[in-house]
Amino acid sequence: MAKQAKLKGTNRARSEFIWGWLFILPTMLGLFALNIIPIFQTIYQSFFKAGAFGRGNVFVGLDNYKRMFADESVWQALFNTFKYAVVEVPFSIAIALVLAVLLNRHMRGRSLYRTIYFLPMVAAPAAVAMVWRWLYNSEFGLLNHLLNTLGFDSVNWISNPNTTFVWIAVVGIWSVIGYNMVLFLAGLQEIPQDYYEAAMIDGASAVKQFFNITVPLISPMMFFVSVTRIIAAMQVFDVIYMMMDRNNPAFFKTQSLVYLFYRYSFVESDRGYGSAIVMLLLLVIMIITVIQIRMQKKWVNYN
Amino acid sequence: MKLKKIMAFVLTMIMVLSLAACSGDNGSEGSSTDSGTSNDSNDSSSSDSSSSDASASSNVELTIAIWDTNQEPGLTQIVNDFTEKTGVKAKIQVTPWDQYWTMLEAGATGGSLPDVFWMHSNEIARYSEYEMLLDLTDRIESSDVLDMSKFPQEIVEIYNWEGTKQYAIPKDIDTIALWYNKTMFDEVGLDYPDESWTWDTFRDTAEKLTKDDGSQYGFGLRPSNNQAGWYNAVYDMGGYIISDDKKSSGYDQPGTIEAIEFFASMSKDGLMPPYEVLAENEEHALFEAGKVAMITAGSWMLAELCNNEYVIENGDIAVLPKDADSNRRASIYNGLGWVAAENTDHPEEAWALIEYFGSEEAQQKQSDLGIVISAYEGTVENWTAAYPDFNLQAYLDMMDDLVIRPYSKTTVRWENMANDKMILAWTGDKTAEEVCLEIADEMNALLAEE
Repeated sequence: MAKQAKLKGTNRARSEFIWGWLFILPTMLGLFALNIIPIFQTIYQSFFKAGAFGRGNVFVGLDNYKRMFADESVWQALFNTFKYAVVEVPFSIAIALVLAVLLNRHMRGRSLYRTIYFLPMVAAPAAVAMVWRWLYNSEFGLLNHLLNTLGFDSVNWISNPNTTFVWIAVVGIWSVIGYNMVLFLAGLQEIPQDYYEAAMIDGASAVKQFFNITVPLISPMMFFVSVTRIIAAMQVFDVIYMMMDRNNPAFFKTQSLVYLFYRYSFVESDRGYGSAIVMLLLLVIMIITVIQIRMQKKWVNYN
Repeated sequence: MKLKKIMAFVLTMIMVLSLAACSGDNGSEGSSTDSGTSNDSNDSSSSDSSSSDASASSNVELTIAIWDTNQEPGLTQIVNDFTEKTGVKAKIQVTPWDQYWTMLEAGATGGSLPDVFWMHSNEIARYSEYEMLLDLTDRIESSDVLDMSKFPQEIVEIYNWEGTKQYAIPKDIDTIALWYNKTMFDEVGLDYPDESWTWDTFRDTAEKLTKDDGSQYGFGLRPSNNQAGWYNAVYDMGGYIISDDKKSSGYDQPGTIEAIEFFASMSKDGLMPPYEVLAENEEHALFEAGKVAMITAGSWMLAELCNNEYVIENGDIAVLPKDADSNRRASIYNGLGWVAAENTDHPEEAWALIEYFGSEEAQQKQSDLGIVISAYEGTVENWTAAYPDFNLQAYLDMMDDLVIRPYSKTTVRWENMANDKMILAWTGDKTAEEVCLEIADEMNALLAEE
C-alpha cells in the first residue's frame, strides 16, 4: 500500500514536471533561439575580425578588446550613455510617481488623463524622434520660433555638445513617463486604503502620507521600474539615431554605446569590433544591476 | 518574500541578457527563413532556364530595391514597359540611402537579397568579393541588345571584378553643378554665375551675398558632402583623394589641402551659416528656405529641387567655378549599376530586366522622363527638356572634364573617417592642413589593410 502511494506520488510529480516544462517551452524556445544562442555567437564573434556577410572571419584573439580599450570614442560613448541615464531615469521615475499618485484619486476625467499620459508610449519611437527633431531644429523649429516671439535668442537644442544629451533625455522621459505611470498605478492599487484612513485620523498631511506610506509601500515597484529603466536607458539608440547625424558637432559627445555598436557592426561591417563594444555594455549593465540588487535591502520594503 | 526576490533577479537578468541578443540577428535565423522561400524556386528555374524569352513565366514577380524616392515614379513607368513586353511583373521597393546598405547587408548575410537592385561604387567590392551578385559576363556577351561600349568605360570598370567578371550594367551618370538664387543676385545687382567664374569670383560673390544679420548666407556646404562639394575643387586645384592604384591617400597633397582650406575658411569667415545650422539642415533645405544664395548639387537632386515652388521661382543652375591657375573645371561623376542577386529564384527574369534597363530604349526613356542622366551614349539630349525652366545644360557641360568618384574596396570606412574629421576644419577647431594630414595617415593605414 505504502509503496503504491509513493509510486503514485512520483507519477504525479513527474506528470506535473513534464506539464510545467511544456507550458514554458514556447518561451524557453524563444529565449534560446533569440537571446541565449545569439549571446554566445556575439561573444564568439568578438574574437574575430569579421569578413563581410558573416563569412571569412579571421581569428584575432583579444585584438578587438585591445583596440577598444585604446579607443577614445568608446569611453566617450560610455560616458555619454551614463549622462543620458542619469538624467532620464530619476526624472522619468519621479514625474511618473507624482502623476500616478495624482491620477489614483477619484477625479473627473481620470481615464482620459491616464490615456493622454500613456499615448507617447503607443507612438512609434522613430516617429516621436522625428517630430522632436523638428521641434528642436535651431533654424526652423517650433521651440526656437516661440522663444524668438517671446524675445529670447535661439537655442541650439541638439547641436550644442555640452547640453544636447539633456534635450535628448527629455524626449526619452516624455516617451516613457506613461509606461512608468501605469506600473506605479498598479502598485498603488495594492496599498490598502486602511493605512491612509488611519494616518488621516492621526492628522498626517498629504505630503507626510506620501512619504511615509506611499513611497515605502510602492518601493518594490520602484525597484522593478528603476532596474528596467536603467537597463533600457543604457541601451538608448533610436532617439539618438533618428535625431542626430554624423555632421552634428554634438554627435561625439552624445552618441551612445549602442549607437557605436550599430555603426561598427552594420554601417562599417566591422562585426568583430561591434561585438566587443556590446560586450563592454553587457558587462557594465550586469555590474550596475548586481549592485542594484544588492542595494535593494537598504530601501526596498517587501512587507 | 525570498521567492519574489529570486523572481525579480531572474527577470532582470533576462532583460540584461536580451540586449546582447540584438547583435545576433546576423546568424542562424536569417538562413532558416531563406530555406523556406527557396522551396518554390527549383521548379520555376528549371522550367525557364532554357528559354531566353521569359514570357512563359507570367506569374513571376521580381523585387527591385532602390534608395531614391524621386526616381520611383519614372522607373515604375519603365518597369511597366518591361512587364508589357515580357509578362514578368516587378515591384519597386524604396529604402532610404542610410538604411539601404544595412538592409542589403542583412539580406546578403541571410540569403534573401532582392532580385534586382542598385549598386554603388562605395559598396561593390564586398559584394563582388563574396560573390553575392549574379555574374553577368557571359550573358552580356551573348546579348544582342546590350552594347557595353556605349557606356562610359570608367563606370563599367567600377563593377568589374579584377578584370574577369562583370557584375552590373551601368544605369546612369551624375555630374555636379552650381545652383544660385536669382532673386538674391538681383537684389545686390550681381551678374549670374557663368563659365568665366573662378573659385575666387565665387568667394567674392558669396561675401557680397552674405547679410550681417544672419538672415542670408552666400553659400552652404556640409563637410560630409564630398562628392557634390569639395571633391570637385580638390581636383581643380591639383590635388586628389586616392591614388590611381588605390594604394595611397591624396589628402596630404598641397592641392587637396588648398581646396579644403578654401571651404573651411568660408565656413570660419561666416560666408556659410553657423556650423550648428549646417549640421541640422541639408544644403538643399537651406537653399529652398532662402537661407543660402548658392549650393552645389548633384544631378540626382533635380527631382527634389526642380519641383520645389520656391526654387522654381528663384533658382537656376550654372556650371561649377574653375580654378584660376589650372584653368580646370572638374566634375566628380559616378554611376549606379543594376545588379541581380546571385541566389535569386528567377535568374533569367532578373537578367531580362537588367538587360532591358541597359537597352538603348529604356535608357532613352530614363533621360526623356528627366529621371537622371542616362549612361548610354547619345541618349541625353532630351534630358534638358524635362525641366525647361532650368538650365539643365550646365550639368551636361560639366561632362567635359569628368573625374570618377574616388573609391577603393573599403571606401565607406575611410570616407566616414574623413567626414568625421572634416567637421573640425569647418568649425575652425583645427586647421585644414592638420585635418588633412590626420586623414591621410589614417586613410593610408586603412588602405594598407585592404
